[in-house]
Amino acid sequence: MKSDFKNFLTSAKVFLVPTISILVLVILSYIPRTNDYWNFLRQTPFYIGIYFWQSQRPDAFHLISAFILGLFADVLGGVPLGINIVTFLVLYMLSVQCSERFNVKRFSYSWLLFSGIIFLTLIFKAILTSIFYRQLIPLTALMMEWLLTIALFPLMARIFIWVEKQYIHLEERYEKI
Amino acid sequence: MQRQKVLFLKENYVLRILKNFMMAGLFIIALLLILVHKVDLGVISGISKGIFYITAPVLHVVTLPSEGLSYGYKKASEIMNVYEENERLKQENEELYLLKDSLRAVEAENILLKDVLHYYDIPKIKIRTARVIAETGNAFANALIIYLGDSASDIKPGYAVVGKDGLIGRIDIVSGKYARISLITDINSKIPVITAQSRDRGILIGTNSAELKLIFTPLLAELHKGDLLVTSGIGGGLPPDIPIARIKRTNTDTITAEPLYNPSKLEIVKILLYDIAPSKEILKELE
Repeated sequence: MKSDFKNFLTSAKVFLVPTISILVLVILSYIPRTNDYWNFLRQTPFYIGIYFWQSQRPDAFHLISAFILGLFADVLGGVPLGINIVTFLVLYMLSVQCSERFNVKRFSYSWLLFSGIIFLTLIFKAILTSIFYRQLIPLTALMMEWLLTIALFPLMARIFIWVEKQYIHLEERYEKI
Repeated sequence: MQRQKVLFLKENYVLRILKNFMMAGLFIIALLLILVHKVDLGVISGISKGIFYITAPVLHVVTLPSEGLSYGYKKASEIMNVYEENERLKQENEELYLLKDSLRAVEAENILLKDVLHYYDIPKIKIRTARVIAETGNAFANALIIYLGDSASDIKPGYAVVGKDGLIGRIDIVSGKYARISLITDINSKIPVITAQSRDRGILIGTNSAELKLIFTPLLAELHKGDLLVTSGIGGGLPPDIPIARIKRTNTDTITAEPLYNPSKLEIVKILLYDIAPSKEILKELE
């Protein structure tokens, strides 16, 4: 009985740690900014987190987690409810496809793949938002968000690796980071 | 080698099918949410309020240390500049005394003229203040989260929010003691404006960037770089004559404007409790 409860707690922890780690980073990014570039970094923990956890620890990150994160991103960010949910599900789906086909355990490949995946995801989100508002999203803002997200990938990945190492057992690691 | 027949489905295969069904289901739910949001049913606002109710206090707690640091820095710089500030205030006070006398005369004349013309004032605007606790904008939306405190019960969605320089946005969601403001730079923002000089009308729309676009202006409008844009009050959603932006560029096809507020300097904001519906007494008088 006791061991069952312990098992349940362990599996709950494995399930919750990735989602909570992403949310903590997102909440930190919502502190009032000091410069205009900060605006484009707000969604970075979501994108990097979903890709990272799905590709590195698919057992700990589920579709439901992506859905919940999307819901939070929609409400906090002030975008129409559903836009971020669909976007995160697309990101999740793309990272599933990539992790099945490529060696995502190698950091350089992973980073390269992420830059492609995130580009497609942002374009998809921009199309969806533009259709909703019947107005085009400025491309410069989109490009800025894409470049900053790619640039921050190593830093964020390090944080997530640390979280994984600290709170949920890590079996395989990047070959080189 | 003969292949072995598999009588039962492998567990992995079943799980994969289930996962695919789940993904399709979640996609459908998300797309339905977008559609329902577009139709603007009350359900969406309920869900948003619920999630906002949970997350806004967490955000507030997280931003408290940074608020403390910025307060300390501000106080320290105030103490350093106290002598210059005192001199400046003395000078300003002298100028204000002179202005006060002339304003009294204008006010008396104004009352007299209003009486002669049977002029009805716009409804008295009450003001509430709130503290900015988080900025949640990104390339797809521009918003702020504010802490309303005890005045939360007076605040309704749609009320105008102003900073010290002018309009910054409108209340989008109120939940608990917190509210989300949709900024004027948000792609969803469309505000009827009028130029302070030539009195030409237009609609100022957000683009999710630092620039705003002015559309639906008259063909022969006299618009110049630096012209001040103020709210026109048309539609009744916002009070008239609140400064909002300055014209930055005027081309043949596009007119862009720059908001008056600086997002990085917003700490305290004012909420204007502007209700266009006239009071019962005014309605009686009009009848």
